[in-house]
Parts: sequence; structure tokens; C-alpha cells
Amino acid sequence: METEGLKYLAAGIAVLGGIGSGIGEGRICAHAIDGMARNPEASSNIRNTMILGCALDETTGIYAFVIAILCLFI
Amino acid sequence: MNLLALDTSHMFDVDFSGEVIVSLIAMLIICLFSVAIYFVFRKKDPTKPDHGFAMAIETLFESLQKTVKSTMGNKYEGFTGYVFALGVYIILCFILGIVGLPNPLTNLTCPLSIGLITFVMIHAKAIKHNKWKYYKRYTSPLAVFLPINLISMWAPLLSITLRLFGNALSGYIVMSILYYYLGLLSTAIFGFLPAGWSSLWIAPIINPWFHLYFDLFSGFIQTVVFVMLTMIWISQEDPDESIEEDVALKRELA
Repeated sequence: METEGLKYLAAGIAVLGGIGSGIGEGRICAHAIDGMARNPEASSNIRNTMILGCALDETTGIYAFVIAILCLFI
Repeated sequence: MNLLALDTSHMFDVDFSGEVIVSLIAMLIICLFSVAIYFVFRKKDPTKPDHGFAMAIETLFESLQKTVKSTMGNKYEGFTGYVFALGVYIILCFILGIVGLPNPLTNLTCPLSIGLITFVMIHAKAIKHNKWKYYKRYTSPLAVFLPINLISMWAPLLSITLRLFGNALSGYIVMSILYYYLGLLSTAIFGFLPAGWSSLWIAPIINPWFHLYFDLFSGFIQTVVFVMLTMIWISQEDPDESIEEDVALKRELA
């Protein structure tokens, strides 16, 4: 039986974990823009925090990516 | 197996491969710079204002020192050296990836080593500050939680390592796919040229912008995140560093 394709299917399913990361990043950006619009003087401070938050939020997406790579190559 | 002609078969091996050599090159560059900085600052006249190289280094160091002080508290000023070395090493690894050398962080050995240093430092700090009470955290709130606590102890190491590794590797894989397919496209268009010359023409125009994002921007952000997390986790272990005191001090300075 051909099982080679199942690896690719598994990798595709694993990478679905990126959905949560994407939603989270969208919410971070939306709220950061809200904050900037309300308080433009603090925008540089908010921007730095937003980039840091986005990078932290990416973590789950990166975990999903690492699992997908493990499925594909090992 | 070989997907899209990417050579990732050695990715999880432990051997003296290209990435390890590039990591050693990065360390050598940092060592040479350190010696150069030492000699520049020894010859410098402290009464005159800085200019050129000395000023750049001093500005960088002072801004980092300010960040360390505001994140970790004033008594952790001595950590600036470690944080500086860590940040420079990570950003240099990403920059060496642009030059055409393999990025050391795409080999799991390198991020794991850096992560282990931070991990050991966190726990050493905790033991130093809490003495025997350190072992209490594994049985809190109840002794039943011991196995869960023993597993969750490794979470910072896993998180900090895989974040760096995944970011570097995803950039590397996307860039490899781009190079491969742009080479094919160029071969299709410039196929009339002699062999070896037909696949070189499109990638140099398009790929620098992706390098800019995946290596420089992403690398810089990951460096900042790694350094920030290291500082926050280490300073968290100190029980007497209260937040109110810090805020009061900041208000006083402002």
C-alpha cells in the first residue's frame, strides 16, 4: 500500500496550527492600531510592543511548522 | 528523501558540518572585534569626545545598558555583557546567511546551545537566590503535581530554542524554494545561452527583497525577542526585586 502521500497529508494538517497564530497576530495589530489612533503620542512605544507581541505570538505557528518539517523529512 | 532538491538530510545529525564551521567563523569575527574594541578604547583620550568607531560602539552599548536596566532592574547592570554577546552572535548568524554561507541557526545544535546557556543561567540564578527553597517549586501547590512540574520545567528551553530554529529554518526553506524555481524560470527564458549560464538571471533581481525580510528583519526581531525573554526570565527569579520599587524609581527619574 502506498503510504508516502500520508506524510504530506500529515504535514498539511500539522501546519493548520498556524490559523491560531494568524488570528492572534491580526488581533494584536488591530488593538495596536486602536491604541495608536486614540493616543498618537505613544505610537512608537506601542509599535515596539506590537512587534514584540507579534514575534511571541508566532511561536505556536512555528511549533506547527517544526512538526510539519518533522513529518516531511524524518 | 530529497524534496525540491533541498539538501536537508543532514539537518538533524550531529556532525561537524557547514553550519558549525560558520558558527565558529561568527565567533572568530566577534573575538576579533572585541580585541579591536579593547585597543581602540585603551588608546582613547577620555577627556575628548568620541568619534567614528568608538562612538558607534559606545552608543550601542549605552542604549543596550539602558534597556537592560529598565527590563531587569538597576542591579543587573553586569548582565549587559552577556546580553550584548548573545544579541551580536544571533544577528551575525543571520547576516552570514545573506553572504551565501549556511545560517548556523538552521542546524538544531546552535539554537539548542544558546538556549541551554540561558536555561542553565535561569536555574542557577534561582538556586542562588532561593537556596533550598528552590526545590519547593516542584511540589507546589501539592506534592501530586511533581511529574507535571518536572515536565513544565523544560518549557522555556523548548520555547526559546524552537522559536529561533523554526524562524531561521522557515526563512532558509522559503529562500531555497525561491532560488530553485527562479532558476527554472530563468532557464526557460534564457535557454539559448550556453549551459551553466542560463539559470542565473532572475533570482538576483527578486531575491534580495526576500533576503531583506527573512534574514535582516526577521533576524533582528528574533534577536530582540530572544534577548528580551532571556532578560525577563532571569530577572523573574529574583524574589526581592519588587515591581513597585522599580516603578517608583522610574517615576523619580522622570
